Parts: sequence; C-alpha cells; structure tokens
Amino acid sequence: MIGSSLSRWTMAFFSGAVAFLIAAECLMVAGYGFPTMPAEAPETLLLVHTVTIGWLSLLMCGALLQFVPVLVAQPLRDETLVLPALLCLLAGLTSLLAGFLRLTGTLDSDIPFLLIGGCLLPIGFGLILWTLGRTLWQARPLPLPARFVAVGLTCLATTFLLGAFFAHILSGLISDAAMIDFRTRLLPVHAAAGFGGWLTFTAIGVSYRLLPMFMLAPEAERTTGRVVWWSGSIALLSIVMGAPVEFALGGSGRIAGVIAGLSAMAALVCYGVDLVFFYRNRRRRNIELNSKSAIGAFAALYLSAALLVGLLATGTLAIHAGALVYLVAFGWLTGLGLSQLYKIVPFLTWLECYGPVMGRKPTPRVQDLMVERRDEPLFVLYFIGVLGGTVALLADAPNLFRVTAATTLLATAAIVVELVLARRLFNVAAAVRFPKGTTPPHLFLPAIRNH
Amino acid sequence: MTIPHRDLDVRPILRDGGEPFSAIMEAVAELAPGQSLRLLASFKPIPLFQVLGARGFEPVSREIGGGDWEVVFTPAAAIAPVVETSDSVGHGVGDDWQVPVREIDCRDLDPPEPMVKTLEGVEALAAGETISALLPREPLFLFKELEARGHQWRGGFEPEGHYRIVIRAGSSGGK
Repeated sequence: MIGSSLSRWTMAFFSGAVAFLIAAECLMVAGYGFPTMPAEAPETLLLVHTVTIGWLSLLMCGALLQFVPVLVAQPLRDETLVLPALLCLLAGLTSLLAGFLRLTGTLDSDIPFLLIGGCLLPIGFGLILWTLGRTLWQARPLPLPARFVAVGLTCLATTFLLGAFFAHILSGLISDAAMIDFRTRLLPVHAAAGFGGWLTFTAIGVSYRLLPMFMLAPEAERTTGRVVWWSGSIALLSIVMGAPVEFALGGSGRIAGVIAGLSAMAALVCYGVDLVFFYRNRRRRNIELNSKSAIGAFAALYLSAALLVGLLATGTLAIHAGALVYLVAFGWLTGLGLSQLYKIVPFLTWLECYGPVMGRKPTPRVQDLMVERRDEPLFVLYFIGVLGGTVALLADAPNLFRVTAATTLLATAAIVVELVLARRLFNVAAAVRFPKGTTPPHLFLPAIRNH
Repeated sequence: MTIPHRDLDVRPILRDGGEPFSAIMEAVAELAPGQSLRLLASFKPIPLFQVLGARGFEPVSREIGGGDWEVVFTPAAAIAPVVETSDSVGHGVGDDWQVPVREIDCRDLDPPEPMVKTLEGVEALAAGETISALLPREPLFLFKELEARGHQWRGGFEPEGHYRIVIRAGSSGGK
C-alpha cells in the first residue's frame, strides 16, 4: 500500500519544525537575542538553536526519513526507532532551551537542563543516524545524491558530539581551562559542520534528485556533480579533522581554513553549473512555485558566498559574521526548506489520501491542493524580508532588523497556513475531495489505515 | 547504442490479397544480431506472435489508427534484463506471461502522473492480462501499491535510462 512507502512520522517532524521556525521568528521580531543582544549572549544561543535544531534539523530529519529510502530504493531500516528519536529530540531541545534560559537568569531552577539536553539530543540524533545510516549501508554502492547525504550525516554526528561537549562545559561539569579554551576554538568547527556539512551538503544532495524529478530534467550523474561531492567533502574534512589537528599542534587553523574555503568555492561553482543545467534542460516549460521560489534560495546561497569573500577581503568577517549566518540560515536553508515543503506536503498528502483509489476513481491532481497564484507573493515577501534583514544586520540597525523580521514572520506564517490547508485538502472542491475509499489525512499524526 | 529497427510494411501485400508470411520471415532472417523488426499490418498479427516468440522475439503492439497495427518484435536477448520482480512472481513462472495488451509511455509526465496512468491501465485489465509501461524512473511507490492490490510485475532499466515495467493483473483482474 502507499501508506507503507510513506514515512509515518515525517509530517510530525515537519509540524514540530515549522512551530519552532515561527517561534524563532517571533523572538527576532521581539528583539530577543542577536542583534539587539550580543552574539555570544545565552539569549542568542537560545535563538540560534531554536532555528538550527528546532526548525532546520527537524525539517531535514523528516525529509530524509522520507527521501533516503527513495534515493537508494531500499526500505527504511529499524523504522520503530523513529518515534523515540523524535521524542528525544523534542525533549532534548526543550531542555537545552530551558538550560539557556537558566543561563540568562530568567529561569530559576536547579534542574541541570543543559546537561539533560546535551544527553537527549545526541540520543535522538543518534537514533536517526542509525536508521538512515543502516539504510544507506545496505544500499552500497550509493548513487550520487545519497553520497551527499552520507557525508551530511557524518557532519551531523560531529556537530552534535561537539554540541554535547559544549553543553557539559556550559553546565560547569568541565572546568579545565585548556578544555574551555579548546571550546572557543572548536566553536567555528561546530558551526561549519552544522551549517556547511549537515544542513547545506545534505540539502544539495537531495536537490540533485528533487530538482530534476519535479522539472523533468535529465537525471544522469554528471562530472560536475561528482566534483561538487569531492571538493565539498574535502572542504568539510579539512574543517572537521584538519582544523582540530592544527589546533592540537599549536596552529591557528589557518591552513585548514584556506583549504576548506578554496574547496568549498570550487564545489559552489560546479553546483551552480549543475543548477543552471537543470533549469535550462528541463522538459517542463512552466515550472511550479516550489522550483520557482527555490531560485530565491539558490540566489541567497551565492549571495552568502559573495558576502563571505567580501567580508574576508575587507577583514570584517568577525564584525559581520551574524549577517552571514542569518543569510545562510534564512535566505538559503529556510528559503529552500519552505519552497520544498510547498511541494512535499501536498505531494505526500495527495499520496496518503488518494493512493488507495488511484487508477480506480478520478482524483484531483496534486496541483489542485495548492493555489500557486495566491502564494507566489508570499515567497517574494519572504525573500525581500530576508534580504532587508541582512542589510539591516550589515548596517548594524537592530530596529530595522525587527521590522524586516516581522515581514519574514508574516510571509512564513501565511505559507504555513497554506500548508495546513493543503493537509486539510481545503482547496479541493468539496464534491470531489473524498471519493469513496479515501480517508482524510490527520494533520500530523500518521494514518491508521486498513487497506 | 541500440541498432535501429528494421521496418517492414506488409499492408500493401495484404491489400492486394497476398500472404505476407514469407516476406516477414525473410526480413527476420536478414536482421542483424540484436536488431528488432517493426512490422506494420492492417490487423493485429496474433499468429505471428507465437511463431516469432518461438524464435526468441518479444512483441510489443499498438494500434496506430484506421485499424492498422504496429508491432515491434525485439530479440529477447536485447531486451533489458529483468532485474526485479514482485515477490509473488515465482522462478520460471514469468515465462508464460501474455503479450502486453498495450504499452503506455509515461516518460514525460511529472510525478505522480506516471503512477496514476499506469494504475489506470492496470485497473482496466482482465485477470492474467498484462500491460507494459515506460516510466521516467524506478517506481518505488508503484511496486508497493501493485503488490497490495494483488498484481505481479517484472521490470528493469532500459539502456536509455528509463524504466520499463510489465504488470500482470491478479486473479480478480484490475477491478
């Protein structure tokens, strides 16, 4: 049955993810954390982890649980571990955020929240790694998109292990001065492995499959794609392994940084070539809104790279790192996430609802679940907000940033409402909404269906 | 690269009241190894299916309008190897599959249309009949659905990169 090829908990991951995204955007509008407060303030840590773990990582986990089996044509292994993983992640993140609140002084409690979060999150991510890792392992040799995911998952492990180490330091459990100094040096590794490896590299890998699939572009592996994988992997290896070795030998991490930077640029150039190839060689002339709005995200990715080069050239990276991180997190990753959710949610909803009667009865089309004309301005508004926010951060104008954050919040909330309407099949004419033999999908819980 | 079909139009012979059998067998004898024969006839040449089937050719036929038929006979060795079958297909059982009643081309459809069209085709079959479909990629969702509905399938990637699946309707047919 269709139900068995749909990942049971993906919608639950997506629902948790968008809830955290909205929460984070509300915090930014309220002026909580950076840029109103310093980048290293506990408030900023709370905001950053709401976005990176709550929104981006839950989104990525939910998407991978659905797509890794499709990428490698194998069923997901140990699927029973997925729900415990989700619960560990939700509890772990809540605890981590409570721990940061305790650091701010807002929350007065003796419970070692940071430590609990620092244990539960690795368990949750570890379970996800186990199911996805085993699924990939059984499917060797891996196709190109899955090889990206494999590297991304390795970076996820690096990110959460370092994160757990930091949580122990912040809880005061490790007070060795050398370790605390090591933490400061490893912080960029944590961020680069998370943003560059886990989130960006995995997203690039999945895009190699999703873009040609939905635009009907040639899917065959290309040399440029393999170059992206190799040079990206070298960049990540250099950050994750090279930099710590350099620190241990008393170096500054400069050599590893230069190798990583040059390889990452080579990867981005080749990825750009492939993106242009997919859009140019598509057989589908009129592309749908998900592929159209993804262009905004790709533009943000290249804008981020240009900004990084510009900041390095002017020696202002340390001052403006916040603007760069914001553009990567909201322009590239969130932009891509929202644009793909706009396709994935209706698609999975359609399969879940109409799969059982497919071919037996006329059903609405997937496109009937959304009203693209109504939603196109929302994506435009979103990207304008992000661009404005980046400029506000570069110009060091926290109040202007709150105004632009309100714009992105508005656009995001409206897109989320549209996704809920898609789950409810609201845009399908009532008469043909539920042909006999179909059951309305739950908002985010899996369907219990007798086929 | 695959060798182009050899074309043979027997409609003029049939119109003149002639017997095209010898012309067809001559054409078959002249085929290069791995080459297929594209036959145009004014009826569906069922008897030929048996004759050429015994010589290792698999036919794929379609009606081309005006009562005329196009049948491509492909030497079995040139057909993409069957790399996968549904769990319910036993070893050796696949050999008695009927010739597909039609072949549908879903290569240029965006998801989930290839799956919808294929299932529509399957649902129209009587028990034991088969249908062939060309798909843009390996249809993972379709496999599960076919098995849930009690149909059997055989499939594999074609040299051009798309996926060809042949589905046999289960005991209750597609209904």
